[in-house]
Amino acid sequence: MRMPPFQLHTPTSLEEAILIAGDLTSKKQEFDWVAGGTDLLPNYKWHLNVKANVISLAKISELTELNETHIGAMVRLQDLVQSSATHPVLAKAADTVASIMVRRSGTVGGNICLDTRCYWFNQTEQWRESIDWCHKCDCGTEADCRVIPNQNTLCVATYQADLAPVLMCLGATIHLAGPNGTRSMALSEFFQLDGMTRNVLQTGELVTHLTLPEDVAEWQGDYQKLRQRESWDFPEAGVAALWKKNGSAKPSQLRVATTGLESIPMLHTTQVAECLDGWSGAESINELSESIRKAVKPVQNTWFSPSYRRKMVKVLTRRACAGLMEGGS
Amino acid sequence: MVQHRLPMLPSAGEVSWVASVNGVKKQLNIENNAILLDVLRDQAGSLGTKRGCDMGTCGCCSVLINGEPRLSCLTLAAEAEGCEITTVEGLADGHHLHPIQEMFAECGGSQCGFCTPGFLVVASALLEENPSPSDEEIKSAIEGNLCRCTGYQQIVDSVRAASDILTSGESIEDSTSPKNDPHPGFSGE
Amino acid sequence: MAKDGNEDEMVGYRQQPGKLPFAKPGSGGKNQFSRPTDQNMIPESQGGNLAQPWGSHRHDKLVSGQIIGKPTALVDGKWKVTGQAQYGDDIRLPGELIGRIIRSPHHYARVLSIDFSKALELPGVVAIATGADAKNKFGVLPVTKDEHAMAVEKVRHVGDLVACVAAEDEATAREAERLIEVEYEILDSIHDMRDGLQDSENPIHDRGKYHIGDANVQKRVFQEFGDVDGIEENAIASHKENWLFAGVNHAATEPHAVVANWDPSGRLTLYTPQQVPHYVHRALADVLEIPMHQINVYRTFVGGGFGGKSDPFPHEMCSAILARKSGRPVRITFDREEVYWINRGRHPSRIEMNLHADEQGRICGIETDALIDGGGFASFGHVTTYYNGVLHTAPYEIGAFHYTGARVWTNKPASGAMRGHGAVNSRCAVETGLDDLAEQLSVDPIDLRLANLLPPHSATITGFRVTSIGMRECLERVKQESGWDKKFRKMPLGKGIGIGCGFFISGSGLPIHWDPNKFPHATVHLKIDMDGGVTVHTGAADIGQGSDTVVAQSVAEVLGLPLDLIRIRSKESDTSPVDLGSYSSRVTFMNANAAISAAMQIRDELLDATVEITGAEREKLVIGDRRIFAKNDPAVGVSYLEALHKAQEDRGALVASGAYRTPPMGRTHKGAAAGLAPAYSFSAYVAEVSVDVETGQTKVDKVWAAHDCGKALNPLAVKGQIIGSCHMGMGQVLSEEMKYGRSGHLMNPDLLDYKIPSVHEMPDVFPIIVESNDPEGPFGAKEAGEGPLLPILPAVCNAVYDAIGVRTAELPITPDRLLRLIERKCKAEGVDDPLELPSPRLEHSELQSVLSNRATEHAKRDLDRRHNENREPYHNGALFGLDPTTPPDEVDEKWAVNVIPSEEYLADPRLAGSAWKHTERRHRGDS
Repeated sequence: MRMPPFQLHTPTSLEEAILIAGDLTSKKQEFDWVAGGTDLLPNYKWHLNVKANVISLAKISELTELNETHIGAMVRLQDLVQSSATHPVLAKAADTVASIMVRRSGTVGGNICLDTRCYWFNQTEQWRESIDWCHKCDCGTEADCRVIPNQNTLCVATYQADLAPVLMCLGATIHLAGPNGTRSMALSEFFQLDGMTRNVLQTGELVTHLTLPEDVAEWQGDYQKLRQRESWDFPEAGVAALWKKNGSAKPSQLRVATTGLESIPMLHTTQVAECLDGWSGAESINELSESIRKAVKPVQNTWFSPSYRRKMVKVLTRRACAGLMEGGS
Repeated sequence: MVQHRLPMLPSAGEVSWVASVNGVKKQLNIENNAILLDVLRDQAGSLGTKRGCDMGTCGCCSVLINGEPRLSCLTLAAEAEGCEITTVEGLADGHHLHPIQEMFAECGGSQCGFCTPGFLVVASALLEENPSPSDEEIKSAIEGNLCRCTGYQQIVDSVRAASDILTSGESIEDSTSPKNDPHPGFSGE
Repeated sequence: MAKDGNEDEMVGYRQQPGKLPFAKPGSGGKNQFSRPTDQNMIPESQGGNLAQPWGSHRHDKLVSGQIIGKPTALVDGKWKVTGQAQYGDDIRLPGELIGRIIRSPHHYARVLSIDFSKALELPGVVAIATGADAKNKFGVLPVTKDEHAMAVEKVRHVGDLVACVAAEDEATAREAERLIEVEYEILDSIHDMRDGLQDSENPIHDRGKYHIGDANVQKRVFQEFGDVDGIEENAIASHKENWLFAGVNHAATEPHAVVANWDPSGRLTLYTPQQVPHYVHRALADVLEIPMHQINVYRTFVGGGFGGKSDPFPHEMCSAILARKSGRPVRITFDREEVYWINRGRHPSRIEMNLHADEQGRICGIETDALIDGGGFASFGHVTTYYNGVLHTAPYEIGAFHYTGARVWTNKPASGAMRGHGAVNSRCAVETGLDDLAEQLSVDPIDLRLANLLPPHSATITGFRVTSIGMRECLERVKQESGWDKKFRKMPLGKGIGIGCGFFISGSGLPIHWDPNKFPHATVHLKIDMDGGVTVHTGAADIGQGSDTVVAQSVAEVLGLPLDLIRIRSKESDTSPVDLGSYSSRVTFMNANAAISAAMQIRDELLDATVEITGAEREKLVIGDRRIFAKNDPAVGVSYLEALHKAQEDRGALVASGAYRTPPMGRTHKGAAAGLAPAYSFSAYVAEVSVDVETGQTKVDKVWAAHDCGKALNPLAVKGQIIGSCHMGMGQVLSEEMKYGRSGHLMNPDLLDYKIPSVHEMPDVFPIIVESNDPEGPFGAKEAGEGPLLPILPAVCNAVYDAIGVRTAELPITPDRLLRLIERKCKAEGVDDPLELPSPRLEHSELQSVLSNRATEHAKRDLDRRHNENREPYHNGALFGLDPTTPPDEVDEKWAVNVIPSEEYLADPRLAGSAWKHTERRHRGDS
């Protein structure tokens, strides 16, 4: 029993959930959402940014809808893996998340909203005390960052979730709901570069679902993940590449996104545009891989060294694009 | 050093909780934010469910919730309210062990035994869904469970052996049936 | 007793005194009839069909064909699979309190004050203790007691114990933990083991007049055997490598837990998942200042040990102290990070390994220098410092041997004993070095090994008495079964195969706490009463390896009984004879020997009784399944129960006590006892790997693992140990590492970031059991718990070289490390794309046939020595032309044994050797 005290709320509808959120907000009480719990609960056990209230989404069945173009936030990762409605690259990425046990609890929404991670942050309270605290979780302690020292405003914790890059490449739209109504945006706009906040969710707002464009089935591609072990491990780097072809060797559309390298996942539009402009087949893929390697800036806060992860981005990009070079359209 | 630790008291306050644990309906007063593993071990009497890492990696705490293997250390008890929970203690039918239990004992699937309850519930669910899994399917099913003793090989052997028993329809003997007689008759030689 | 129902029977019973209400022969039980003896389990020497290529054994006549050698399910397996096995945290006593430990947030600091007044005011807090409550030191080795229950003056690493609290529930205990205020004076900490060799203003411990200078050197060893100065002039090939091994942790799935309870009579019962209950027993008596008989140590089921539960631990002391203060039972269970803080894992090490070969392909010299990082406390480190050297003086015959070792204190969690204690890292360095020598000599590395093996019944260069050796068979089997000749140096880039060997003790010859001549290593008691069931009392700690099972098997075999008639009582010190515990792979060898000795006494009594009943000739009687009968006329005989009741006539229950002690062995130089064992295990593994040259990721595909365990008493368990060892060793070689950050903090004290291989990383392991039938082992057995871990590390390293031509000298070989080496190799080869790297290839030199011929000759020599009871002594050195029958130091001055470095050496010492530059304070004249 290492769980600190908090009040758990278990609404059974989205409407009720938002009401509770609004109510707590008006009472100036802090709260977190919990979906599958595989991210939040370990963090809570280590006393990382614990709030006085937690609203569980587990009993809201309306968030579990899943079809080719609609993925509810509470769809569990293992259900995503096993569903025939899931895009094969998305299923592959989901299948690499942690272990099958974690995937049975973990959800799509939870994976998208995964808290950023850092070797100096994801530690017990006792451990953090030994480094005189970490500013990502122990605010008010005036603790300095251990990764980028001598400052305590910038946080460079790493976003290590697998689904986002694939969903970004598939052109997913994310849908949010909150006390002030609903809003939607491209998934790539959902993230904002800050290791602490990491996305645009306002207090009381939550992810309800993602939608994919109608042509999703026409996209092909791959997801490549770097990790030490084939179970349990978060991505030390992850690259998704998806493309559409219309008969010629050159893809009519190509998108590449990375994860596990910075505080948010990145869709590499400039680099891809350059690649397609001067398309020359395999050579272009090599150049693209190199330009993406240059574009990412990992820091020393995960299992592998940043220089290695950066080098691997190049290899992973090339491998993710390998299917592009194979015949067929 | 400045004290920044989070208070552990006062507790979250108690709520009434009902679930079926190994076929027995339990009504307990649990803390509002209780974790299922803590409820099972400290209140529901299932000390067979083990705490290895408490963080979702080792799988020692696996239990079946409505037949599906879940990490009890990462499950809020409230979310299992009203569910059928099966722990390692609920796998056997009285003194007839489940084939997966019998085979883990017979084939070396269990050495120190600490991870065994987790592996057993996971493997029992696999066999329920897929009575004759391939080695690859077995490995995929147990990828969330950590064993430090066996190197997994005899665990996979045990699951395979249990699958053979299940598909052949053999039954496991009652463990209370009479054992060897220290005074055997002579005519048998 | 119920008055109705059985009343008639009870009356009948009373009316016929002496007539027992047991079932008539054949009338009860599931298996009415005894099973015919399986002749395939009876050794040739006794007229059975069991082949004995290694000759007969002194225990052959005890074989009843019952269970020895049969794959046997663990006798406690059913408890484990039903969830009924109680581990540390499963002991729940009425009225228990929950204990928590307050730990240091500093690497190194003086504790100035502890204010627990606020915590004591918290409702529900019952007791608080600090270092002031337990002044006496303890430690697993009597020579290096340097631990306290809680900090007495200083804390020595982050996580070191400062105070403890017991409260009504866990939340209250954790809240109290928060409220205890400790004032520290921070001291300069050291983290790099090399700094430990330097003088320090505040050495981490003060050993008074025995302190080595002002340094943090806890132990240093210097050993030279043979003509070390002459090594280089004979060498035509030399391998030199500086290794860096990361520390690794046992990471047993069960975190440490303990329950202490003082009963109303004032006796303490300590429930703890311990590998070595007896040492805890001693340490508790010291710390609590009570006699040992006032304590009962109850070993719970142990959820994995691997050496990580073999020290007496401060938290065990804490629970006893809190329980004494509070008058209530106290349970303390670790969170996972606390397991890493108590550690005792494998030492982070810097090992310089120099190997030399002469023109005949003989290993003319090994020079090893090992600096090992002990962390904050001594633990088993005194022994580890020796083991890093002496445990690689076999299985090869060596021209000369130099070893310098030093263990330093640093401000990290203490290192200690872990599976393969002290032998794993240096063995990896030796075996990869041999691979490199073979490469330099252009010979096959397996043949190089086969041509340099010590024969059976020989003495190593350090004077260890080695009895059975199955090394040659191990090498031959893996060579054949892996298809070595078709694969080695012949596979495409990225695919590789490699060999590694191992050698390990089967029980430490020296009990730590007493003179082996005055008290045995192991004792087993048997008690048999009218029901025929055999109760075995043993103190051996079953930690999942199956020691209860192996003792039960041994007794069952000797008495001809099915296993269900044997019940093991091994948990409580009150009822079990003293045993040294489960470490140094001693349990099967020593405990089963003691069990056999006790069972033989019972067997004799049963045979006597049978003679009395049947009038048969005692010499002709044999024991079969629950029957004792004349071998030539099986109809003449009695059931086991009949014989037993006859034997009981005048004395009631039969009891017997059997003991084991090691024979006198070894030499007399300082440190000669370290590494001495009554027998040694041998192993050879071939690993096949795939390396992704673009990412540096290594996957082990297959492992052929041959291990000479003497005799597999329980082949199921032996295979389990071999496969499990592969898994654990693979973790160390590829991914496991206690990673310390730039500020000296342990960055990965949890199972997500401490990378134990998952099922997906696990290769197909083909265990190959080699049975060299050790003359002194129980039924020929040696060990299988630790030795099998050794070869996997070098086998993988050598396979990686075969795959991509890169030698690593830093473990674990994580992909980022390997990629750096691949990039360096690309640069050296002048290629841009690693996929264009050349694969290593081999053209045999002329030396190859010299080695093959010698190996063939030696094979004959070994076979002869195996079977010839009148064999002459064989001392290491014969291969180099010395007289094999006399220890070389007795005939050749150059072979003198040195245990103190010369002035000349100290002028230019190696890294660990520089520890000898300090003068012990008592010799310094200033203190």
